[in-house]
Amino acid sequence: MGSDVEEASTLTTTRQASCRCGQLSAECSGDPVRISVCHCLVCKRRTGSAFGAQARFAANQVEVSGTSRSWIRTADSGNTVTYHFCPECGSTVHYSGERFAGFTIVPMGAFADPDFPAPRHSIYETRKSAWVELPGDEVEHLPHM
Amino acid sequence: MTIRTASCRCGQLKATATGEPERVSVCHCLACQQRSGSAFAVQARWSADQVHIEGQSKSWVRSADSGHTVIYHFCPDCGSTVHYTGGNFPDLIAIPVGAFADPDFPHPRVSVWERRKHPWVHIPGDDVEHSR
Repeated sequence: MGSDVEEASTLTTTRQASCRCGQLSAECSGDPVRISVCHCLVCKRRTGSAFGAQARFAANQVEVSGTSRSWIRTADSGNTVTYHFCPECGSTVHYSGERFAGFTIVPMGAFADPDFPAPRHSIYETRKSAWVELPGDEVEHLPHM
Repeated sequence: MTIRTASCRCGQLKATATGEPERVSVCHCLACQQRSGSAFAVQARWSADQVHIEGQSKSWVRSADSGHTVIYHFCPDCGSTVHYTGGNFPDLIAIPVGAFADPDFPHPRVSVWERRKHPWVHIPGDDVEHSR
């Protein structure tokens, strides 16, 4: 049994993210290079939640299908981030930015998987809502970026 | 009377709520995870007459497992959902709390669908009702 587990772990994991109506999807091969939570006010507005939770992949790990509309935000740093959302249901399914050249970022909720790997970074905690906690010794907590 | 304004990221769609919300809740269900893109959603409900909407929105209708339909209104330019109604609260308007961009917004007292909760998320507090 142990050897079966080892064999399975060497296979490439493929995960499917999609919008709520299902027409826009992102198939992600392999594990993300970074998983983080961001409490900034922009992530709150994008998600409508207390924070954004997202996984970063190399762009060539992600295959997008479906129709999307894009919205471009210029961050305080001057860098732009381009978000791609479903024009039918509004869900953002992937985004990329000048700061993350060569990477595609997928909102974790789009995987609809409570067993998705946990975030290791929690940023913009100066904007964190006091009623939510992200415990775990392995989580890096930063006041800003 | 407290007045709070929620908006999408680009700012063209707004919802202004007067008075305190009737309910603030967290939902961990898979549909809320997909809507928000986050690990869970958090939303506040007001009577419809306490909420004033401005701006253009596009709607998306979902039929819940219960058979209820919920109508979500999002900004066609940036995608943010700013208000929704229906389900088991036909006379109320729900607003995603993140749209207020206020870390000090009143905290949720209810956390539902915890069977779908990501294990790394904790919603502590003696006054929070948890249900699976």
